[in-house]
Amino acid sequence: MCRHYGGGVAMAANTYDAIVIGSGMSGGWAAKELTEKGMQTLVLEAGRSIVPEVDYVEHVPPWGVKFRGLRDRKAESINRPIQSQIGDEWNAKFFVDDKENPYTTDSDKPYLFLRGRHVGGRSVMWGRQTYRLSDLDFEANLKEGLGVDWPIRYKDIEPWYNYVEDFIGVSGQAEGLPHLPDSKFLPPMEMNCAELAVKEAIAGKFPDGRMMTIGRVAILTESHRGRAACHYCGPCQRGCITRSYFSSVNSTLPAAQETGKLTLRPFSVVHSLIFDSKTRKITGVRVIDGQTREAMEFHARIVFLCASTLESARILLNSTTPEFPNGLANSSGELGHNLMDHIFKGGATGTIPGHEDHIQMGNRPNGIYVPRFRNIKQKHPAFLRGYGFQGGGHREGWERGSDMPGFGVDFKNMLKNPGPWRFNFTGFGECLPNHDNHLEIDKNKVDAWGIPALKINCQWRPNELAIYKDMSVTAAEMLEAAGAKDIVASTAQSLPGEGIHEMGSARMGRDPKTSVLNEHNQAHDVKNLFVTDGSCMVSSACVNPSLTYMALTARACDYAVGKMKRGEL
Amino acid sequence: MERREVLKLLASAAVLPALTPDAFSMFRSIHAGLAEAPGLKALNSHQDATVTIIAELILPQTDTPGAKAAKVNEFIDLILAEWYDDATTARFLAGLADVDQRSEKLFGKQFVDCTNAQQLQLMKVLDDEAAVARKQQATAEAISRKPAIAPLNFFGMMKKLTLLGYYTSQVGFEVELHKSIIPSSHAGCVAITGVA
Ligand SMILES: Cc1cc2nc3c(=O)[nH]c(=O)nc-3n(C[C@H](O)[C@H](O)[C@H](O)COP(=O)(O)OP(=O)(O)OC[C@H]3O[C@@H](n4cnc5c(N)ncnc54)[C@H](O)[C@@H]3O)c2cc1C
Repeated sequence: MCRHYGGGVAMAANTYDAIVIGSGMSGGWAAKELTEKGMQTLVLEAGRSIVPEVDYVEHVPPWGVKFRGLRDRKAESINRPIQSQIGDEWNAKFFVDDKENPYTTDSDKPYLFLRGRHVGGRSVMWGRQTYRLSDLDFEANLKEGLGVDWPIRYKDIEPWYNYVEDFIGVSGQAEGLPHLPDSKFLPPMEMNCAELAVKEAIAGKFPDGRMMTIGRVAILTESHRGRAACHYCGPCQRGCITRSYFSSVNSTLPAAQETGKLTLRPFSVVHSLIFDSKTRKITGVRVIDGQTREAMEFHARIVFLCASTLESARILLNSTTPEFPNGLANSSGELGHNLMDHIFKGGATGTIPGHEDHIQMGNRPNGIYVPRFRNIKQKHPAFLRGYGFQGGGHREGWERGSDMPGFGVDFKNMLKNPGPWRFNFTGFGECLPNHDNHLEIDKNKVDAWGIPALKINCQWRPNELAIYKDMSVTAAEMLEAAGAKDIVASTAQSLPGEGIHEMGSARMGRDPKTSVLNEHNQAHDVKNLFVTDGSCMVSSACVNPSLTYMALTARACDYAVGKMKRGEL
Repeated sequence: MERREVLKLLASAAVLPALTPDAFSMFRSIHAGLAEAPGLKALNSHQDATVTIIAELILPQTDTPGAKAAKVNEFIDLILAEWYDDATTARFLAGLADVDQRSEKLFGKQFVDCTNAQQLQLMKVLDDEAAVARKQQATAEAISRKPAIAPLNFFGMMKKLTLLGYYTSQVGFEVELHKSIIPSSHAGCVAITGVA
């Protein structure tokens, strides 16, 4: 499975029909679509290969890792002080070495850039939550006069949501909400007892239409397209040997491989793009070999840039030419600007009394979802847009014993049984596009391959902070409605970047003067360049974004290959 | 069977719904080699003996094995040597020495030489003090928003590490909690009587 490069047939030396940069969530889709449409495609991936049989560790028990889940604290504080804030002791190896991959910020504007560099990118460790945007989202900027208007509407992306969902497999419950359109669902996962109780308590209680549904998740609840149903071991973020959740490694890259037209080259760190001022097109890609540090070039008729929001912007900002002194495809001056992430961690926890004679069986790798309810029926006085809640119920385990008095036989027997039902709501809130939240090249810093690093300038602004504040209020209201005890509002607040939903750094738009990409993710300035990762996003909505990146990627591939076949590209 | 073959077997959809106990025990043997007993690095033999007894008094052998059988002392040694920072380890070891000072004062002998009743008497005092310390620490951390890496109180540390070391051991996980890495079934909301 995607272990070696090779398989595809190069035409001239180092020349292909298409180059895809990055093999993560969006790059995997570009690879699949382009190869299936007959393109000889080279995927350049900065990091190493992932070999499921060796690298996946979801079935390693807690006594199989050195610190039993506490992580290698001391080593990480030296090499991975940033990435140590995400993942766990098992999958820490899927996140980058911070020393090799530096970035800078002003000291009063911390930003957490959390990511992996390997085949599959963050699709290997993602949370698999999968939601559609709606016209509430696509029309918001226009209605409110913020940022620029999305150049597409729901009807443009709907067939591509269907197309992607049909391949990846999304489990969930159809609810018929106009502002959170249903996906093509596999059977939903089951709610546990606390969740059923909270769901019932909320239903119909709030005039703003609050309701709760099971998380919509790219995990198979029945076998689907040759992949097995989930076996509920739990920690998908460590890999899945049965390929039951969607990732590039589990799904799109094998499909691309099957066409015989894929050449996947790991350890290929893209430095910049080569622009020909005569044709005003990209002729190739400059690469530094991740292991030998050798500089090399690869050529193709079209390039799909899928290196992730921050890295794609960095590649373009590092690709300066006389025509584009501020970065390739940046005649608008918007490249690197309008960076967004979801503000999260607002919410509340509580104890749900009762149901003590009931338990949940297995480790369901999913939670609940409360779709956005603010600014739908009624305008909120304090902020625009809204947020959704993730979370769920669980029975306390042995961990509670550390905070309890007692020891000995009775104490041990008490901990053998599960504790009370606890419930948590964690909000993910929309972030408005703001020109001042931006990326630039730090001229004094390079990464381990000598490539200039990013300086990230990003802050929460009043609208995000007002959203954050409201999360704890409404979460507590819902817990109260469910009769919860010991309700505690969250005091934690995410830093920009910590939501790992960074997007917007090369936005789409109708006008080349104010946007980088057109309605097909094609650079206004460079016709054979397509950017289809989160950089293209015009607004952030409040739902987990990856499904939208995948749908836009598939849509852009269809457009690009159609143009090529008609000789227009 | 080779690890690769087991995984191949598991990856095929056909096998999964009825994962045989056989396949599961293979999983176990695959991972058995991963957690070899380390030689002690932070605790001397007297300290180790004291830690072993306290841990066993917190989670004793009942109809299931206790902390000693789960080698919780080795886990605590690892944390002291390689996870805590030096100051925290020093605090733990000072707390351990204090246990002996108290038992000398109360009973005229070191903790390991005390009778079970004497040990339990001292443990009760330590546990009560830890409960007070826990509340104080929680209040302080809520204000400063800087959680420490470990409880500040010795017995608080000891209890936390004992629980973690025990329930994440193979004995604690499989024998005490009846958990398995690949659950035999899954369901959202099940009456407990229908489970056992
Ligand atoms: C813990 C976690 C939980 C998450 N949960 C969810 C969720 O529940 N739902 C959701 O929608 N999203 C979730 N996300 C976010 C999701 O993973 C990202 O939105 C998604 O992976 C982005 O896709 P991408 O293709 O833009 O980037 P990535 O998947 O990060 O892939 C980018 C790839 O490009 C490669 N690359 C980078 N620079 C270069 C270069 N210069 N040259 C060559 N290759 C390069 C990288 O190595 C990487 O493989 C989560 C992320 C994390 C980490």
